[in-house]
Amino acid sequence: MTTERLDMLRALAARRTDEVVITTMTATLQWPLVSSHPLDFDFLAFGMGHASDFGLGLALARPERKVIVLKGDGGLLMSLGSLVTMGQYAPSNLLVLLLENRSYEMTGGQPLAPKADFVALALGAGLEKVERIDDLARFEAELPRLLTEPGPHFVVVPVTNSEPLPPVAHTDHSERVTNLRAALGVTPPEGGSNTGGGEGGF
Amino acid sequence: MNGASAARTVAVIEDLGFTDVVSIPDGESRHLHRALIDTPEIEVYSPTREGEGIALAAGLWVGGRKPLVILQNTGLMEAGDALRGCGIGPSIPLLLLVGWRGYPGAMAGALPVDSAYPYTEPLIRAWELPHRRLMSDEDLGVIGEMAAVAEGTSKPAVVVYGYGFTP
Repeated sequence: MTTERLDMLRALAARRTDEVVITTMTATLQWPLVSSHPLDFDFLAFGMGHASDFGLGLALARPERKVIVLKGDGGLLMSLGSLVTMGQYAPSNLLVLLLENRSYEMTGGQPLAPKADFVALALGAGLEKVERIDDLARFEAELPRLLTEPGPHFVVVPVTNSEPLPPVAHTDHSERVTNLRAALGVTPPEGGSNTGGGEGGF
Repeated sequence: MNGASAARTVAVIEDLGFTDVVSIPDGESRHLHRALIDTPEIEVYSPTREGEGIALAAGLWVGGRKPLVILQNTGLMEAGDALRGCGIGPSIPLLLLVGWRGYPGAMAGALPVDSAYPYTEPLIRAWELPHRRLMSDEDLGVIGEMAAVAEGTSKPAVVVYGYGFTP
């Protein structure tokens, strides 16, 4: 079974309160359709495959705050070793939702390794709270636990998408960082200008 | 010109207020890595690859910590996209301590020259990152200098060390 991705995102947005939500690739395009929150962070074009590495660092820095990472299976394959690092440092406030669609959807839907078992990979990497949630009803039922129970959690959610994807929004990267640090109450470094620009075409 | 002392380097890192070190150990940094692990005031994280480490450090910084990244020049070559995306592009002032594999052999005239040696400084210049060399204890001030440059410009800056750290 699979879940329509936008429905799954809508369910998460309805339950989410003060957690940081990091999105990348196609989740970045659809998350703004269901959420507009100061703690939303668009990781698109910050580094291929590294959304959960960034989320791990943020979770370690802010143990009092839940950090949710929405990333795809193609992205995970680009930094597969990060599972081992997550398993080693294991911050209890990290929730990774792996949107499994077996393709590089952002670049045209090219297929990826059909036999890779992401639950087995995560368990083998040392993560303990690993599960697969196959349908929307169960995802909605499990969300309250996933948002409150100490983790880290690694959850594989098989998804499909039948909705048209919004275009990529190339907002300024340094502005995204500045906004998130402000939302987290982090004092900007003295003298830092954070005036870097955004990126070009995707 | 025989490498900086790990103990003195850790003291500098502490004095500068670094809270975390993200480090993938290599031969040249092994004594420094050991000394950092033995320093309870500093958290040390060892990811599996350097690009992963730079993204992890960026997350730490966004969350309010002050991380230092230690990696070999070969790792810097691997980590290019992460450095672009999690450092230069979003204006995150990471300080990178980069081991210059191949430098001692090249200075000694050893053949063959390690292919990691000749590309190190040209690569850093190509990224338009300011950098200084650390070759001995006399150069330890460059760490603070480059940390200030990183914070002042909101961009990554680099210290390249040419010799392995001594205990």
